[in-house]
Amino acid sequence: MSETAKIVLAVAQLLTVASALLVTFHPNILYASVALLFTFLGVTVMFLFAGADFIAGVQVIVYIGGVTILVLFAIMLTSWLYQIKLRDTRKRMAIPFLLVGIGLVPFFYKAAEELANRVLSSPPANFEAFAGSPKTNLIGEALLNNYLLPFEGVTVLLLGALVGAVWIARPR
Amino acid sequence: MGNSALFAHSMQTWIGAGPIWVWAALSAFLIIYLVALPFGGFATYVERKVAADFQDRVGPNRVGPYGILQFLADAVKMITKEDFIPDGADKFLYNLAPLLVVMGACSAFAALPLSKYLMGADLNIGVLYILAVTTLVAPGILLGSWSSNNKWSLLGGLRGAAQIVSYEIPVALSILPVVLISGTLQVGTIVEQQGWAWSGATTGQYHFWNLFHNPFCFCAAFLLFIAGLAETNRIPFDLPEAESELVSGFNTEFSGMRFGLYALGEFAEVFVMCAVLTALYLGGWHIPFLNLDQMWIKFPEAIIILVQLAMFSIKTLLLVFVVMWLRWTLPRLRVDQLMGMCWKGLVPLSLINLFGTAVWMWVFNGRSLAQLLFGSGHG
Amino acid sequence: METGYITALWFLIISCLTVPLMLGIGWIIRPQKKGSANKTMAYECGEPPVGDAWIKFNIRFYVVAIIFIIFDVEVATVFPAATVYKAAIESGNGGLAFAKIFLFVGLLLSGLAYCWVRGDLEWIKGVAQTGNKK
Repeated sequence: MSETAKIVLAVAQLLTVASALLVTFHPNILYASVALLFTFLGVTVMFLFAGADFIAGVQVIVYIGGVTILVLFAIMLTSWLYQIKLRDTRKRMAIPFLLVGIGLVPFFYKAAEELANRVLSSPPANFEAFAGSPKTNLIGEALLNNYLLPFEGVTVLLLGALVGAVWIARPR
Repeated sequence: MGNSALFAHSMQTWIGAGPIWVWAALSAFLIIYLVALPFGGFATYVERKVAADFQDRVGPNRVGPYGILQFLADAVKMITKEDFIPDGADKFLYNLAPLLVVMGACSAFAALPLSKYLMGADLNIGVLYILAVTTLVAPGILLGSWSSNNKWSLLGGLRGAAQIVSYEIPVALSILPVVLISGTLQVGTIVEQQGWAWSGATTGQYHFWNLFHNPFCFCAAFLLFIAGLAETNRIPFDLPEAESELVSGFNTEFSGMRFGLYALGEFAEVFVMCAVLTALYLGGWHIPFLNLDQMWIKFPEAIIILVQLAMFSIKTLLLVFVVMWLRWTLPRLRVDQLMGMCWKGLVPLSLINLFGTAVWMWVFNGRSLAQLLFGSGHG
Repeated sequence: METGYITALWFLIISCLTVPLMLGIGWIIRPQKKGSANKTMAYECGEPPVGDAWIKFNIRFYVVAIIFIIFDVEVATVFPAATVYKAAIESGNGGLAFAKIFLFVGLLLSGLAYCWVRGDLEWIKGVAQTGNKK
């Protein structure tokens, strides 16, 4: 990976982490959901670096175009929700959270090390070329052959979600 | 593969030096500042002139011959206008909203095939990329309207967001027949396949415009145009702005250059919509019934690029003219009609088109109408 | 990363910088004046605004958004399947691929039909339920 690419990746990671922290800690729920939009953008760039261009596109279409709008609608739907300051138990919980976080560091470090070892022990042959090759067709092949059942299962899940969602929203 | 930044690579080979990311940045700069933004500015003048012609008026005629420099005067006016934020507005979101709209509209230009080599990036997921970045406009409009603390704005913004997300489904479903036909999401390849070849040997590769591939595609192109009009908030789908009921809708509280940026974004989106329709259904930069690569003379590359650019522009700008024409022809829809039309009209119809195209391909072994009529044998 | 996506990122960055650039140019060249109280008042047809604009609104916007997300996921899943349809036809497996794709689309279409029949797609719910359909 070139130096410029590393910088871009670092910026994307920084954007993701910073905006994710904002989502968690911002007292205004509307700002938190706007920060969520930028988290999604950062994740999209990381998908691109992983060579998953199709997933990156879907990430933007479904999460930025759909989920963010849904969250914004839901917030605006609930009157005054965005005027409540969300900061009830945060300070009280800060020390336990910190302790748990520090406790989890070795675990995550070990997991990351293990993952890096496995990937680095067998690096994909010419990754650069792989990252640039069209993969949408490969995903399509996989969906229609090896993963046909999950593919059709998704539609049943979506059907259930659709019926459930409109049932909840129905006036009673 | 791997060299999909076509414009940047052409410039790099031509100059012969420099890292590719510099050329990528330059190509992005050139396309945004020489195509997207000037089009947005000039389109406001053309829109006014076209409106004047339809209503038998003169229209702008003071600045320059036929008022052609009006857009420059407008730009100067917008830039020098006082820039204030309304009382009680949410400052951060108020500033963010035009940014998202301009980002969404201008970034889509990256994947538009202005000509074979004059293309920001021929991405593997080109069609999906355009669909993806234009979704940034919806949160932009919603946040902008919410932040300006105006009841009319909020109503317009809510309508706008609901309308844009709803009509994205028919847009995507009307693009899918093309994906079925060409088997790729790459815009460059999709355009390439829509060429024309007289000689029998190569007719297998070219299936002429997707518009005439089969009757279902013909309908899908019209659905894409209608849904695209709604996506770009143009009349008859301009409910988010609806100047006769909502003052000016989602951009009521935006003045001066901020309003100008909204307008630029909107016109850039109109261009993107027409360009996508041109690239996917109207053969992109291909000249009808002519194939420059198969001529008896070998044209220099520069000429081919210019001719292709001209073809693409003519097709796209004609569609833009139709969009402006519709503004003075059709009345605005009501909100319930708008939503009903999307979910009960366009979505089922575009699914029928998708289904029909798939059946056509299955029955005729993937061959287009033109190939069936003029082709000699398959492949 | 592939050069095409670098270009696409540059498009995002440059179009993002355009907005502060334009506003900045304006800020430099125009006379600096403070807007009067009347100017910065929200324009609601000339009446002084009553309260703020952040009112509660109808749940139907939420329903539209949720139906949209479900169809969005569906379309996103169909896209890769659609790209291999041509190859399947050419290799003679067209019928099978057709059945697989349209089983997927058809099931969700039945969901849309359900919403349609139950009146969830009606924008004006009250009128639809009392049977005053056009």
